[in-house]
Amino acid sequence: MKTNAGNLKRGDFVFYQDTIWQVQKADFYSPGKGAALMKTRIKNILSAKNIEYNYKSNEQVDVLDVSSVEMQYLYKDSENIFLMDERTYNQFSLSLVVVGKTADFLKEGEKMFVYLYNDKPLTIRPPMSVSLKIIEAADAIKGDTVTGAKKPAIVETGVTVLVPLFIKVGEMITVNPETGEYTGRV
Amino acid sequence: MKIKTSINNLNNYKIYLRVEEEVNKFFKRKGYLKADLPVLSPALIPESYLEIFETKFRYFNRKEKLYLTPSPELFLKRLLITGIGNCYYLGKAFRNSEPNSSWHLPEFTMLEFYKVGINYLEMADEVLELLRFISVRLSFRAKSRNLKKNDNRISFERWEKYSITQAFLKFAGITEEELFNQKLFIKKAKSKGYKVDSASYEDLFSQILAQEIEPRLGKSGYPSLLYDYPYELSSLAKLNKNGKIAERCEFYIDGLEVGGFCTELNDYKEQEKRFFQESEKRKKNNLINHTIDKGFIKTLKYGLPDCTGAGIGFDRLVMIFANVDSIDKLKLINIL
Repeated sequence: MKTNAGNLKRGDFVFYQDTIWQVQKADFYSPGKGAALMKTRIKNILSAKNIEYNYKSNEQVDVLDVSSVEMQYLYKDSENIFLMDERTYNQFSLSLVVVGKTADFLKEGEKMFVYLYNDKPLTIRPPMSVSLKIIEAADAIKGDTVTGAKKPAIVETGVTVLVPLFIKVGEMITVNPETGEYTGRV
Repeated sequence: MKIKTSINNLNNYKIYLRVEEEVNKFFKRKGYLKADLPVLSPALIPESYLEIFETKFRYFNRKEKLYLTPSPELFLKRLLITGIGNCYYLGKAFRNSEPNSSWHLPEFTMLEFYKVGINYLEMADEVLELLRFISVRLSFRAKSRNLKKNDNRISFERWEKYSITQAFLKFAGITEEELFNQKLFIKKAKSKGYKVDSASYEDLFSQILAQEIEPRLGKSGYPSLLYDYPYELSSLAKLNKNGKIAERCEFYIDGLEVGGFCTELNDYKEQEKRFFQESEKRKKNNLINHTIDKGFIKTLKYGLPDCTGAGIGFDRLVMIFANVDSIDKLKLINIL
């Protein structure tokens, strides 16, 4: 589907130099004198590399007609994560490079949306937050009263998250899987 | 669009007020007259890339088109012709088809000022003095996102200067010959992978400037100045002796375009010709066919004094001193 670059928005998939990229940021910009531009940051869906690209705002851009399908996360190996479309039982894989940090916070059975283009998966739409159990954490050090102080804790997927000092083993916390940051207690 | 109240922006808004105060103080000390001007006008100066807001005055059967001014230039130059001397406007300006973004609001605050008897390069000194004045009065609070050292304050002691020719050669590998020849320039843009179908020289100029040059500016911690533009990009600037270069500057702070200035064109015949060209380009670009300010040309016949005019996106200037990355963070009320 063709559109003016001026209509691009975060989340769109575009062709750029014959490969597929996802728009991470799109911001209108017009110089004092001269033609308007769309400043974008786009991410290559194979290499996960980000670049900044300035389109002419009236330039025609191919936006991919992408569908998003809810899938269940099955497991991961050293290179890929594996997902299943629950309606068709079809299985798909996506490379860890594409999924990024989010893969560290996925629990088996977790549901999320996957973008498909011509029935091939492009990438996942990371959940806004995931709930995870704390399996290891140091006790709070007495007398440490610095506001906002954090300590490392290990969550059930085996990765370390910085959490506030009052969090204990066995508690459930929420994490933003894209950044790996603690967002709250369940 | 919706009305959004953002009381969290109060501290930033207070910085906006501080900068406004200092700007008024600066111009008062330098002897400029502050001009309060209309924002509704029955005619405008045609500019090929600016879309405008159109409205109507109504009284019984009488209907008259009016436009919100995209810049106060048509008023300030009329005043200069009367011999009013150095003057400035600090107030609202309107540009249509510019959606809200980090750097744009369709309704924004413009600082425009004119100084008589100086050219564009002398104006560069005046602008730097203004920036330094604000910086000192606000205790050097403008910080650079580009400087990776502990003291990342922006210094307004000097410019980082490039002529457009130098900048295109250094950062984009485009020679002077290619830059000043439309055909060669478009060919070069194509070889660099830009889409050139139905793109004009001006379109590609802006795109390459934003893609390859602007990200390289402001790394030194000083504001950046680009000067001497191809004449196609300056409808109201005076040309230099060989007729190819417009005496125009644009300046950037920390990589953000904040304002520009040019030695003002005061040859009314040349001005009339460019009005016509810009108006034709407007039609080609499918922009609103507004009433052209013919009175402006008539007034120019009386003689605009030799002067240089500068326009500064005031909100953007405040963004620098408030250290915010988006223009809406300066406002208590936004229409988003």
